[in-house]
Formats: sequence, structure tokens, C-alpha cells
Amino acid sequence: MSINWIHNFPFFSIFLAMLGGILTALLNDGKKALRLNQLITLIVAILSLCLLLNVTANNESFTFMMGHFPAPWGNELRAGPLEALMAFVFSILMFLTVTGGQREIFSDVVSDKVKYFFIMINLIFGSILALIYTNDVFTAYVFIEINTIASCAVVMAKGHGRSIIASIHYLIMSSLGSGLFLIGLCLLYDITGHLLMPNIQEQLILLSRSGEYALPLTVVCGLVFIGLAIKSALFPFHTMLPNAYDNSTSAGAGILSGLVLKSYIILILKFIFQVFSLEVIQALKIENVLFVFGIVGMIMGSIYAFREVRIKKMLAYSSVAQIGYIFMGFGIGNMAGFTASCFHILAHAATKTLLFVSAGSLIETNGGKTGIRDLQGAGRLNPFAGVAYSVGALSMVGIPLFAGFASKYYFALSAAGGKLQLSIVLTALAVSMILNAIYFIPTVISIWSKPEGEIKPKAEPTFSFKCVCVAFMMINFILGIFFQPIIAVIEQGLRLLG
Amino acid sequence: MLDSVLTIIPVLFPVLTGAGLLTFRFKERKTLYFWVAGIVVLNALAALLMIFTHGAEPFVLFSFTDTLAFVFRVDSLSAFFGTMVSILWVLTTFYAFEYMKHEGHEQRFFAFFIMAFGVVLGLAFAGNMFTLYVFYEFLTLSTIPLVMHAMDGKARHAGKTYIIYMMAGASLAFIGFIFICLYGGNELFTLGGTLDPMLVKGNEELLRFVFLLTFLGFGVKAALFPFSHWLPAASVAPTPVTALLHAVAVVKSGIFAMIRLTYFSFGTELISGSWEQSFLLILAMVTILYGSIMALRTPHIKRRFAYSTISNLSYIIFGILLCTPQGMSAALLHLIYHALIKITLFFAAGAILYKTHKEYIYEIGGLARKMPIVFGCMAVASFGLIGVPPFAGFFSKWALATAAVDSGNPLAYVGVMVLILSALLTALYCISLLVKAYFPPKGEQADGHDPNWLMCAPLIILSAATIVVALYPQPLLQAINLIAGIS
Amino acid sequence: MEVLCLTALFLPVLTGFITGCLKQDKLRNSVVLISLLMQVLVVLMLIMHPVSEFELLRFTDSIALVFGVDVISMIFLLLISVLWLMAAIYSFEYMKHEDHRPRYYLFYMLTLAALMGLSMAKNLVTMYLCYEMMTLLSVPLVLHTQSKEAISAGLKYLGYSVFGAGLGLLGIFFINHFAATLAFVPGGSLIPELAVGNENLLYTVYLLMMIGFGCKAGMFPLHAWLPAAHPIAPSPASALLSGVITKGGVLAIIRVTYFVFGASFLQGSFAQTICLGLAIFTIFMGSMLAYKEKVLKKRLAYSTVSQVSYVLFALFLMTPLGLIGAILQIIYHALAKNMLFLSAGSIIYKTGLKRVDEYKGLGKQMPFVMIIFTIASLSLIGIPPLGGFVSKWYIAQGAFSNPLGLLGIAVLMISALLTAGYTLPIIIDAFFPGSAFNYKKLKKKDVNILMGLPLGILAVILIVCGLFPKPIMDSLTLLLSALF
Repeated sequence: MSINWIHNFPFFSIFLAMLGGILTALLNDGKKALRLNQLITLIVAILSLCLLLNVTANNESFTFMMGHFPAPWGNELRAGPLEALMAFVFSILMFLTVTGGQREIFSDVVSDKVKYFFIMINLIFGSILALIYTNDVFTAYVFIEINTIASCAVVMAKGHGRSIIASIHYLIMSSLGSGLFLIGLCLLYDITGHLLMPNIQEQLILLSRSGEYALPLTVVCGLVFIGLAIKSALFPFHTMLPNAYDNSTSAGAGILSGLVLKSYIILILKFIFQVFSLEVIQALKIENVLFVFGIVGMIMGSIYAFREVRIKKMLAYSSVAQIGYIFMGFGIGNMAGFTASCFHILAHAATKTLLFVSAGSLIETNGGKTGIRDLQGAGRLNPFAGVAYSVGALSMVGIPLFAGFASKYYFALSAAGGKLQLSIVLTALAVSMILNAIYFIPTVISIWSKPEGEIKPKAEPTFSFKCVCVAFMMINFILGIFFQPIIAVIEQGLRLLG
Repeated sequence: MLDSVLTIIPVLFPVLTGAGLLTFRFKERKTLYFWVAGIVVLNALAALLMIFTHGAEPFVLFSFTDTLAFVFRVDSLSAFFGTMVSILWVLTTFYAFEYMKHEGHEQRFFAFFIMAFGVVLGLAFAGNMFTLYVFYEFLTLSTIPLVMHAMDGKARHAGKTYIIYMMAGASLAFIGFIFICLYGGNELFTLGGTLDPMLVKGNEELLRFVFLLTFLGFGVKAALFPFSHWLPAASVAPTPVTALLHAVAVVKSGIFAMIRLTYFSFGTELISGSWEQSFLLILAMVTILYGSIMALRTPHIKRRFAYSTISNLSYIIFGILLCTPQGMSAALLHLIYHALIKITLFFAAGAILYKTHKEYIYEIGGLARKMPIVFGCMAVASFGLIGVPPFAGFFSKWALATAAVDSGNPLAYVGVMVLILSALLTALYCISLLVKAYFPPKGEQADGHDPNWLMCAPLIILSAATIVVALYPQPLLQAINLIAGIS
Repeated sequence: MEVLCLTALFLPVLTGFITGCLKQDKLRNSVVLISLLMQVLVVLMLIMHPVSEFELLRFTDSIALVFGVDVISMIFLLLISVLWLMAAIYSFEYMKHEDHRPRYYLFYMLTLAALMGLSMAKNLVTMYLCYEMMTLLSVPLVLHTQSKEAISAGLKYLGYSVFGAGLGLLGIFFINHFAATLAFVPGGSLIPELAVGNENLLYTVYLLMMIGFGCKAGMFPLHAWLPAAHPIAPSPASALLSGVITKGGVLAIIRVTYFVFGASFLQGSFAQTICLGLAIFTIFMGSMLAYKEKVLKKRLAYSTVSQVSYVLFALFLMTPLGLIGAILQIIYHALAKNMLFLSAGSIIYKTGLKRVDEYKGLGKQMPFVMIIFTIASLSLIGIPPLGGFVSKWYIAQGAFSNPLGLLGIAVLMISALLTAGYTLPIIIDAFFPGSAFNYKKLKKKDVNILMGLPLGILAVILIVCGLFPKPIMDSLTLLLSALF
């Protein structure tokens, strides 16, 4: 086949990221490690873009057998427009986050450990890509574990006591999630005898139609979803996030909240479409559960965020709320809902990384204090970060022309099916918008208000940081204005997925 | 087609130049003023040119999706609102040149001030609900820095209050916007409503309820009780802001959105006679009385006028809610009269504040003797506000009340009574102020003198305008009737 | 003669602004005097050559300022301009002990213009406009002294009046819907087809309007401002407020009752009953309060409350005789009350005494003033052959046809007794202070010509009008036939 070589791209991407991790270990300098990481993410971005253009143009999705071994011995990857889009956006965001947060990494991470930090980042990147592309549930589990451990290391990177406690907390919660997921997988394997997603799906549909194994099937569903929900910090499993983000570097927090959480959600999406199939999901009423938890998460996350006085913790709680949006979209249960959720995965990833990076820079400017009150006037000293943060905040609130508005709009439209559902979704969106405004706007006001006394910036923003800010804002505006083609790609991807 | 492309110039030009002002620093105050004056006057002229030479052709700036597009169109209502805003903006700018000298940070102020101009024009020229909603949100954003101008604790608090109220309103408006998308597409505004009758059938109850929510959402900007707290709080802003934005541009944008919603999107047929209409009518009446009573109780001059604005805005809302062409016409009439009157009153209050630093009524005993121009203008405007014939407010009150009686709605009869009561309260809170200034108790004599021509000229022009529109209301009335569809 | 109409309206405005700018008292006084004399002249000419309709300014299709002169206007025009002239002459002397004289004359003249307009108003909007103007322009007269009580009384006056006028305006809004035109049509202008089925609404509206306009006339329940505001003004202003401006409310009531709703529509309605009840109650209440009041000017103010409600009672009877009685009572009360206030002012001006129990022996000190006071009091009580008797006679005759009217007659009797009770003791004290009274310490303090002349002229007019009421009644016959 003439285009066969493009089908290798997903594998190349994952391989490159993992290889990067190994190569970094050989380097002796943090700077070089950074450059390597940047290089890899850029290459992956380009590869993903090519892949994206190719699959959307051909309107196809394909499975890629690693080493051309057919199942059940081989390991399969699967790629379509959705996967390629996610990989593309995530790699760009990865690049920007790491570039934007580099100074804090070099200053705050224990100096001789910077290299290891980048190893972890590379591993995280690789596992995210793997979770996006994998077609094999066991591979998914393996990369979940890699991801978990790497994430813990990233949380720990600052090396002081609080970060160690936070990372232990993170580790325990994550392990619980992976554990449940693993048990679910075992049962699934028991019932179906397969590990590849399409094969499992075939069996499950047969089982559900025949009515056999009804109870185990429910248990499997429960275990898998709860496991992944814990990993993606759906309310009420969010407790690990705030401390973890508060104590890790901004770039790390951005990656963890913007990308890592999303990779599990993408996995959930794949489970819904490729493992359980919509039919089974609807029969088990999983969507209603997700809907309720999503809505509760939206509101509760915002309420927690509202009560928070430290900016990174506030952003963490805001992530909890935003994850709620995504689950609510899943819970709406129609294609429009999934589309909206997928869009929101992108929108939130783009916005949250932007917020963490700019917040990190603002904190640096004001001398490292993370209280919202301490940030007074930081925006005046560091206008690029200030504007970027403001853009992020407005996007979170859902002001038109920003990314957040587009996803809100699609969430609202997707709920048009039932009156009850529509009213619940609209109410939740409205309340959540108000709450978002209540906790985001004061921070924006705070960073722009006059500082008490004359404050000199503790650190000047670098040129690369400014570029990153501009790029982040452009991504936000692109998502907020030219969302129709993106939505079209997502729809195409979802169609090809299930 | 070329014609309609041009309609966005008055919207984009100030937004861009305003953003430019934020980044570029002027050394001399004079050069800054020169550029600001140039931009505002040019833009006002451009807007007026667009308004008076337009064909009512829609112009699609950008399509987000097949159903969601940025559409601009200058119809007669846009023309009405746009003209009013443009003229008042120019006058306020000149007033602000003098006033802002004692506030500082003029460049930032004028940057956002100019941006807000573009946003309000965008709101006026919006051709569909989406565009309207977008500019509605942007108006909030572009005015926050103006409200918080002083950036001290009080101003920041006011700013937070302001934005939280605004966001709450916008979130309700968002719900309405989604429903309008679902039930009528995001069509161009047309008098009589754009909802698809086929889709509406069977969902009337739901839609009416949504109308209620959306109306309340826009009601936040229009300071409908119980969402009116932000307005008096926001009177910490510099006077040009309170005068133009919080008596005209921002609050009237809420009103404008309400008119678009009621008459051009949902259509009066759906709403007329429903309990939602009654509920909102009652709310408007409560607001009228609440505003007037609070105004009477408030000794701080600017806040008193702010409460008065709350009350008067609900006159307009009351007119809108009558759901008759006469009601809309009356609402528009009061909209323009109140704009002229209230801006004059705030300018006068600002002049007092600027020249004497007096903010409370009990401090201004006998000041009228020292500041005859300011208080003369204030008196003219006050009588207009009370609605003493032949001053301006009388005709709008007349139009509102006769429209209410003609509508035959028993609740509207009560509304007429409320208007009368409020007129009484208005008389008390306006005249007690004038009496204090003109007939102070023996021995009281505050010190001060009239400000320079930059502040006096807008005051005199505006109060003259209130007299002119009162003595010759016929052309204005005809134009408004045309908008409302009364032939 | 539209020019006359315009002159009558704008001459006072013009001279008002001129006098407001003049600093020398003498010059100002002569300008005022000349202009008021011309005003009387213009009014007389206007009566000879009445203008039936004159559109001054048209705002919108439905709202226009239209003036015209009919019999009722003539009576009011003449009464007002004469009383204004007299009070002005009196003021020249009296105002010497007050500040802010230019301002006083400015608003004095402007209020006259408003009243001229009110008398000539040909439609409801014009009437309302002049009515509001009258209120606003007379406020500075009330709070002239700028003492704390004066300012609060002024605001009270303003509040009540604006509210009253507002109720009137409320009615106008409804009339705009239910009537063929806003112009005054003898016999009423309601469209019968629209009125059918909405009678109760219209009656309620009428009632509210009566209460509203009744505010200016001091009718219960909106009377409380009157005893506060009238006495606090300088005496000539009190005289006009009490004698003339209260009649502004009466005029509005006449117009609304007979020229808009129409007597036939209202006859026998619950609104009529309630209005009659209110008027009767006010008559009684006013007299009682006056009887109990010890401060002279306040007593006179309460007396106004009571006496103007005679007029209202008569109007609400809606009979021809009642209307005649009402018109006569308007004239006689205006004259008598002016005399009373001006005399009271003279006493205060000369002696500074304000309370009625301090007036022992005053008849010796100020015999001229006290004689005037006596004449006015007797008219107020209704002792023949003075004017008050004639008007009460007609009112009583008009009342017989109405069941509530009989109650009214009884109250009129009681009120006459009370009136005697609150005026005669003052006179008796003044002229017959008792044998124990020490005359020696008294000095002659009677008023000079500037204050005495108006008092004398008014007394003459009162007596003449009382003796010859026929011309006035004759002039009304044509109108009566149109109204009933």
C-alpha cells in the first residue's frame, strides 16, 4: 500500500517518546535534556499533524499491528482522526508547557535531578500517546502504570517534605484506581477471553444480547469506570489533586492536569466506544451515573475552588469542575454530547496548561508566594503572563470567542433531546459559569491591581516565555473561533470509532 | 454589499485603537487628548454616517458554524440606539477630559472608554442573538477597568460586585440564547419574533419560562430588582463612567437586549397574557418603587442618582413588558429622555464633586448661588425627571401610562398608579436636593464655582437638548413609532 | 383676541423676571404695581372679548397647550388678578421685614402666570401643566423664610401637591382612553360605548382624581400639608395660598366633574357618595381643628380646610343650585380669607403677636384692621347680608335633593356655629377686653395706607358682592343649561 508508511506514525511517536526517556538518562546536562524533550515533542506534533491530515482526508481509521503479528499474540495500535487530533494538540501543549515553565523547572527542581525530571516528562508523554493510540486493554494498563509512576515522580520533583507527602497521596489514590482497573480487566478477560478491544466488544455484545453474565458484566463495568474515574479525578475522587499540583512545578502541574487526566478520559471514551459499545453502556445505565457525577463535580469543584486561597490549588479544583463538564457530556449519551466532551478535552487542556504556566510565571515574578493575595500587581510587572492568565480565566468562565465558550455552547446544544436533561444541563452550565466567574475574576483583578508599595519584579520573563504566552493565547482563540472544523474532525473521529 | 461591510468599522475601529492606546504611551496630556478626541469624534461620525446611509442589509462578518454567525445589521432600532450612544459619547469624552485630570491614569481610562464605545455600537448593530450576546459579554469586560479605575479597596470591591452580577446575568442570558438557537435558529432579528411556530407548538410553557429567565438575565444590566445592587455600588467609578455607562450605555444595553428579546426574538404573541409577563411586570413595579424610595433615603448625591436610574430603568422595562407596539414606543421614548436627563444630572453631580469635593446633599447648602450653571442644568434635568410638563419626562410618562391603559391589562392599571407614586418620590428626592442648594437654611453657604467650559459645555448642550426634545417631541415620536411598527 | 390671552399668560412671567433682577425696592414695587394693574386691565378686556380657543403649542398629536375663556375662567381670572393686585400692594409694606425680596416677587409673579394659565386651560393636559407649575412655583413662597420649619413645610407641601396632581394625572391617562377628547366639553366627554361595562373603573378613577385634586383644596385625606404650609409663608403669600391657590384645586375639580365626566354620568354613583362624605367630614374636621387651634394663622388655615370643603360639598351635589352656591362660595371665601390673613399679617407685622389669647384690647390699638377682620369673619360665618350667607343659602338649597345632602346641611349648621366659635372670641377680646383691662399701656399702631388700602378695597368688594350676587348668577345661567 502506498500510504502504509504513514500508518507507522503512531508507533513512531510512542517509540520516540520512550526512546527520549532512555536517551535522556545518558545525558549529563539538564539543558540538553530539555532540548531533547522539546525536539521530540515537536517531531511528534509534526508526525501527528501529518497523520491527522491524512486520516481526515481519507476518512479512515486503521489498526496497526506491531511487528505485523496478528492477535492474540501481537499488540495493536489504532488511529483515526480523533486520536490523531488529540495527539497533535497534546504534543503541542506539551511543548509549550515545558518551554514556558522551564525556568521554574531549573530553579525549583533539585539541581542534579533535573535530568530525571525530563525522563519522567518523556515517559509521561509516551504513555499519554500510548493511551491515546492503544487498541489493547492490557497495553493500556501497562501505560497507565507507567504514567502513574512518572506522574508521582513529577509531583515529587521539588523534593521538599510537602511534595513528598503529596506524591504519596497521589500514588495511593492512583494505585487504587489502577488496581480496580486491573481487576476489571481480569474479569473482562475471564468473561470474553480477549484483550484486544474489537474482539472484546464482539463478545460483549453477544453476551449482553444473550443475557448471560449479566452480573459480572455490571461488576466489570463498575470496576473499569470507577478505576478510570479515580485516575481522572472525577469528583469525589479528586482529593489527591490540590496538594499534588500546589507542590509540583507549574509545568508539571499543567501537564498533569491538562494532559495526564485527559489521557484517562480518552481511555474511558475508547472503552465506551470500542469495548463496551454504546448499546451495552446504555443497557447498564452507566451514562446516567456519569451524568450525575459530572454535574455534581462541576458544581462541587467550583465551590471548593471558590473557598481556596492558593492559586495553584484553586486551579486544581477548577480542573475537578472541568472534568465534571466532560463527564456530564459523556452522560448526555448522544453523539453530540461525546463531541462536546471531546472538544472540551482539548479546550480545557489548552486553557489549563496556559493557566498553570502563566500562574507559575506570575508567582515567580512576585517572589514565589502562591497565595492569591500575594499576587497583587504581578500582572503589571509581568504583562505577558498577566494577559495570558486573564485570557485563560475568561475562557474558563466561558466568554464568547474564547475556547471555553465553544465547548459550553456545544454542551448546551447536545442536551436538546429531553426537556429535563436540557434544563438540568443548562442550569448546571449557568450556575457553573457564575461560580467560575466568582473565583476566577477576583484573581484576575488581584493580579492587575496596584501592588502595595513599590515591588520590583523578582524575575524578568524570558523571550521564549513571551512567545509561549502568545502561542497559548492563539490556540485558545483558534479553539474559540474556528471551532467548526475541529468539531467536524471530532465527529468524523467518533463516527469511525464506533 | 460594500455598504454593509462598512457597518463594522465603527465597531472595530475603536476596539482596535483602544487596544493600541493601552500599549502606546503618550508623554503629553495634550497629545493624548488630541488623539482621543479625534478617535471618538471620527468614530461617532462614522457611526452616524453608517446609520443614515445604510441599507438594512445584513453583513456576515464570520460564520463559526452553519448556524452560528457574527452578523451585523443596522435596522431602525439599531439606528436609534446607535445615534443616541454616538452623540452622548462625544459629549462625555469632552467632559471627561477635564474631569479625569484629578483621577489620574487617563490613558488607561480613555483606552477602555474608547473600546467600550465600539462594543456598545457592536451591540446596537448586532443582527442576531449570538452577536448581541457576544457584545453583551464584552461590554462587561471592557467596562470593568473603568469601574475599578481608582483600584483602591472600595473600587475593587465594587468591581467584583459588578462582575459577579454581570456574569450571573450573562449566564441566564446564555440559557435564552441556547433556546433561541434551538427553537428558531439564530435568525436575523425581525419585529414579531423569530421562533419557528412549528417547533414552538407544544413547548409554549417551557419557552415562556425561558423567556422569564433570559429577561431576568438581561435585567441584571438593566438593574431590575433584586439584581440592582451593583449599580449604586458602581458609583465609585469616575463620574463620566457613572454618567455615560451606568446611566446610558451599559444599563440601556440591557434594555436594548430586552427589547430585542421581547419584540424581535420571542415575539410578543407568545408572552402576552402569560403569568411570566405578570410576574415581570410586578417585578418592574417593585423596582420602580424600590429605586425611588432608596434614592430618597440616600444622601450621597451620585448614589441617589444611581438609585433613581434603577427606578427609571424599570419605567422602560414596564413599557417593554406591556407587549404592545405602544408600550415599546413609550419605552424607547423614555429610554432617550432618561438618557439625556440622567447624564446631565450625573455631569452636574460630577462637576460639584470635581470643584468642591462635596458628595453629600447636606454639604451643598447654598451652592447654587456659587455654581449657577451647574445647578441650573441640574434643575432643568430634575424637572424633566419628575415629569413636570412641559419638561421631557412628562411625555414619556404620558406615553407609558397611556400605553398601559390602552393595553387593558389590569396589572398595567396598577402600574400607572406605581408610576404616579414614583413621580411623587422623584419629586421629593430631586427637589429636596434643589431646595438645599437654592434655599439653604439660614447661615449655610458652601463654597465653590462653576467649572470651565469643557465641563460646562456638555452640561448646557445636554440640558438644552432635554428642553428641545420636550418642546418638539413630534419628530422623535414619529421615528420611534416607526420602529415599533405603529403606522 | 389671542394677543390678550398671550399677554395675560406672559406679562407676569416677563415682569417676574424683570423684578427678579431689580435691586431697588421702590423701582421694583412700581414695576410690580404697574404690571398687576395692567393685568387686571387685560383680564377685563379678555372678559369683554373672550377667546374661545387658542392653541399655543402642539407637542404631539394628542398633547397640546390650548387656552380659552369661558364663564368659569372669567370668574377665576378676575378674582385672581384682583386679589393678586391687592396682596401685592400689601406686600410692598409687609415684605420690608423679610429678606430675599427680588426672589419673592419673581415667584409671586410666576405663580400668577401659572394661575392665569390654569384658569384659561382648555384641556386636561394644559390644566395639569399649569397645575404642576402652580405647585412648583409657589413652593419658594412657602419656604421663603428658609427656616427649618419653613423648608420642611415647603417640602411637605410639595410632596402632597405632587402626589395629588399625580392622582389627577392618573385619571387623565384613563380619560385619554375612555374619552373622545382631552378638551373640556360642557356636560362631559366620555364615549358612552367605551364607558359601558367599565363604570366601576371610571368611578374609581374619578374618586382618585377627586382625592388628588382635593389635596390642593385641603380635602381629607390629603389635607395635612395645609395647616403646616399656609401659615409659615409671609402673610400676603399665606393669603393667596389659602384664598386663591386652594381654589386651583377646586377649579380642577369643576373641570373634571362637569366638563369631563359629566354630572349625569356621576349622579348617584358610589364615587359621588364617597366624595360627599369626604367633603362633609372635612368641613366638620376643619372647623373643629380651627376651634382648638390657638395660633391665629394656623387657625385660619384650618378654617380654610373647612370653608373650601363647603365648595367641594356643593360641587359634589351635582345640582345647578349647588354649583351656583359653590361659585359664590369660592368668591366670598377667597375675599374673606384674604382679608383675614392680611389682617393677621398686619397684626404680626405691627405687634408680633401670633396667638389668639394675646389679642386683648387690640381693637383699640388697630381699630381699622380689627374692623376688617370682623367683616371678614361675619362673612365666613354666614351672617346676612354679607356674602357668606348667600352662598350657603344656595348650597343648602342644592343639598335638599340628595339624601347625604341633608346630613351636609346639618354639618353646615354645626360648622357655622364653630366658625362663630373660632372667630368671634377674637373680636370680642379685641374690642371688649373686659373692665379689668389696662388701656393706658396701649399705643395706636394701626397700619399705614399701603397695607390699609388693600384691606379696605377687599372689604368693599366683599360687601358689594354680598349685596348684589345677581350679576354673577346671571352669567352662570347659560353655562348651567349646558352642564345639566
